[in-house]
Amino acid sequence: MGSIFEEFKDGQKLGSGHHLAAALTPVSTAANPGRLQSFYYFSNAARLSSDLRYSLFQANGIRLPKQEQNSWVDIFAAYWSAAGELVRFEEASSRASWVKVFNAWKETANQLIRGYSTGGLQAWTIPCLYVVGRYLRQFARKADAELASQESDGFGDGFQDDVATGLEKNAKLEEATRVLNRMFTLCLTDRSPIEESRKWGVYDTTNLLFKTYFKLNTVGLSKNLLRALNAQSADLPELDAFPKSHIVTFKYYVGVIHFLDENYAEAEQHLAEAWRMCHRSAMKNRELILTYLIPCHLVTTHTLPSKKLLAPFPRLEKLYRPLCNCIKIGDLGGFDAAMSAGEEEFVKRRIYLPLERGRDIALRNLFRKVFIAGGFEESKDGQPPIRRTRVPVAEFAAAVRIGTHADERSRVDIDEVECLLSNLIYKGLMKGYIARERGMVVLSKGGSAFPGTGV
Amino acid sequence: MSAGIPPWRATAAAPTATASLYSSHATPAYTPVQARRSITTAKTTISAPTPASSHQTSTETAPRKQRVEWPEPVRLYVQRSFAPENRLAGVERGEMETKLRAVITEAAENNMLDKIDWTNLPLPQVMVQNDRNKILASPSVSTWGTFGALSPKKSNSNGLEDVSKKRKSVEYQGDANGCPPWRKTNNHNAFEDRVTYASTDKRQRIDLKNTSKSKANLEMRRKRFEEPQASNGSSASSRGTSPVPAANTGPVVGTCQELEKNYFRLTAAPKPETVRPLHVLHKTLDVLKKKWKKDNNYTYICDQFKSLRQDLTVQHIKNEFTVSVYEIHARIALEKGDLGEYNQCQTQLRALYAQQLGGHPTEFRAYRILYFIHTRNWTAMNDALADLTPADKRDPAVKHALDVRSALALGNYHRFFQLYLDTPNMGAYLMDMFVDRERLSALAAICKAYKPDVKIRFVTEELGFESDEQSARFILDHSAEDLLQEKEGSVRLVTGPRAGQLFEAAKADAHRIVDIKGQI
Repeated sequence: MGSIFEEFKDGQKLGSGHHLAAALTPVSTAANPGRLQSFYYFSNAARLSSDLRYSLFQANGIRLPKQEQNSWVDIFAAYWSAAGELVRFEEASSRASWVKVFNAWKETANQLIRGYSTGGLQAWTIPCLYVVGRYLRQFARKADAELASQESDGFGDGFQDDVATGLEKNAKLEEATRVLNRMFTLCLTDRSPIEESRKWGVYDTTNLLFKTYFKLNTVGLSKNLLRALNAQSADLPELDAFPKSHIVTFKYYVGVIHFLDENYAEAEQHLAEAWRMCHRSAMKNRELILTYLIPCHLVTTHTLPSKKLLAPFPRLEKLYRPLCNCIKIGDLGGFDAAMSAGEEEFVKRRIYLPLERGRDIALRNLFRKVFIAGGFEESKDGQPPIRRTRVPVAEFAAAVRIGTHADERSRVDIDEVECLLSNLIYKGLMKGYIARERGMVVLSKGGSAFPGTGV
Repeated sequence: MSAGIPPWRATAAAPTATASLYSSHATPAYTPVQARRSITTAKTTISAPTPASSHQTSTETAPRKQRVEWPEPVRLYVQRSFAPENRLAGVERGEMETKLRAVITEAAENNMLDKIDWTNLPLPQVMVQNDRNKILASPSVSTWGTFGALSPKKSNSNGLEDVSKKRKSVEYQGDANGCPPWRKTNNHNAFEDRVTYASTDKRQRIDLKNTSKSKANLEMRRKRFEEPQASNGSSASSRGTSPVPAANTGPVVGTCQELEKNYFRLTAAPKPETVRPLHVLHKTLDVLKKKWKKDNNYTYICDQFKSLRQDLTVQHIKNEFTVSVYEIHARIALEKGDLGEYNQCQTQLRALYAQQLGGHPTEFRAYRILYFIHTRNWTAMNDALADLTPADKRDPAVKHALDVRSALALGNYHRFFQLYLDTPNMGAYLMDMFVDRERLSALAAICKAYKPDVKIRFVTEELGFESDEQSARFILDHSAEDLLQEKEGSVRLVTGPRAGQLFEAAKADAHRIVDIKGQI
């Protein structure tokens, strides 16, 4: 028979969840271009159930408890219908429809969930859940795109008080989240002993949901998952006992969720863990992690990424380098220009807000130059010379003038310069105080006027 | 529960206190609902003094409360208050009841029940109206009525500070004579009961995030109940069993000709005879605009707008008129500080503007940014930024809001307060909600950065106060008295670590209590 049944047989014989999951992967491979077709055409609706029973079990010599066998037959029956819808695409049929594929695949997912909750499927087969969940998401997106191209008038059901509910656009993906959510609960709430528990699947299903929530722009919902995980944390194995691939993704999303809430310290912690664990050659994932880790680092430690770090990632280099250069030399005007030049991209990746804070660092670097240009006081009695620590506000104002590329006519507001200084002092980027009456900034002595920068 | 019955409530049973004797063998013809009715029940008893009804009310209340014998004059007073002939147009039953309740409670608490001349005491509805007239007479209120309602122009027609800074969505009432006929017929359900503030909470979250926040929870809950039947049927993803039929069958075509209608949350498909068609809705909007101008009754206007919105939705009317309905409701809500309702409108407007139906998209995009500053919703802020086109960014209002955001992000209070004093449209209503919070942040920074002190004048100017007195008051309200000192002929704020800590604490407080969704 078709290789789908062979994969099923291998999986069952070896007790390997991944082999089993391969059977449920709804694609035709390059090696076996007729994979789905041969599966679909091996039977017909009338004989499906008995054909499946024969091909899955009798022909393969696999014996399972009756209940479990029935579950698999139900799952593969739904799978068979979905394959039928997919085959229409392979055959370029005019009746091919992603909505139909999605609906059929959703049924497969539901059968699978039912198999776990009441049908006696064993926990080692849990990778099937991942595969089915993953494709559910994909088909949902294709179905939504298809619906969008068919144009509806965009009114929800008749009970809405308001005109636009905004739900229609991603209706199928929303539907998918509900199924994925059931998968998540299915894993989280399994009470069997941990060795044979579905709890091992909890992070993978979480990741699927995270991904979908991000897509739907409902990141807030992710927090419910984190809360649920947190509540169960006592019963969950340690994170490092889980497959690394699950954890890297999980950490990445948790990091980004904190990132979006402006909890940069926590975000950095999670992202750094993801960065450490991420597979060396998973360049795309590493790039994603860095995209958020760099702004985090800028905010928390005021440091910029080195050329070496970004060398393997030309896109990030291009994204961040202009900004970094301006921050480094205290070029405020250049910084503002770079921000507005990259604005669209920054906003799209949701890094605009933290990057904006880089302006403080640019300003700090600019004012640091003022301090250094101030030179040294005359040394007394052979003591090592000390820097001039009393700097008129006017000198900082002049620096702002240069830094913002102000032209002859534009006026720099002294009060605003004071406000900028006061902010740097408040944020601990500069040490000292402003004596307003005398128009003077008194900086701290002994090499700590600009903490962490050597002067 | 019986212990907690307030004195005014006892009036319910008072006229027929003896009737409690029947309670033991009378058929229990009461429902818990009636028992909770408080004074509303009292009214039924009194104004319809058939023996049967008195029995009913007394049987339910009498056994559960301590005996309070109300003096005869008090009972008569209550009776008069509810008598139909004493009804005053424009005074709501609910308002009257509240007043009545207050009067009697006060009298009972002060042991004045016997001393007050109940026969000559003005009826509560009269008191309500008198109070209103007093408010009317006060200049700060009556000036509202002077300028153009829904036009975005700024009015400087009079010298009031309040006016100069903000635009009013609409104006104000001349007289309180706005009780429409439909309300009289419908007054059994106090209309406040139907204003769905509670449900706006839920809905709003839906609007804001496209899906309910608690969906995951609901999902899990549903899951718990579903498990057993999961084995015999799929239907896995149909959420709940709420009545979905009839929905999606296409737009209703309304036939209702009434201009006004109060809001009901639909639980079944709407009937055409209760839905107003577009041309009626046009007139409705005009009436509502006038009423808002005249009466300034927000509860009423909000309810009316909700029903107006509902009628538009069930008929699938999506055009420029729809946009203007939402815009007007949003402006009114903004003026009244009803952020919950405002946010609903704003969410709808965002979707409507996306379809290029006209209206004032940039004005509301600017509000949206300010709103997210207030709620400090950075995720949504990012979305709001992503929505802006280059053309939007050139618009003065949007540019202003963006500048406000960036000034705050960088802690540039100097720039922030300059922008605050120069806010276009109705943005000041939103900015007012977070300006004090930002003043505290700025003071925390100033106290850390300046030594040894700063003149109060400096604080006034930097933080957008209107006078030195106002800024001194603000400082004292949030810190200690000795932070202000007089030196060399001027009042100064003594800065330094202690002051810094005080403002830091006040700032933390102010940031904590921001109600995330801005409900009222």
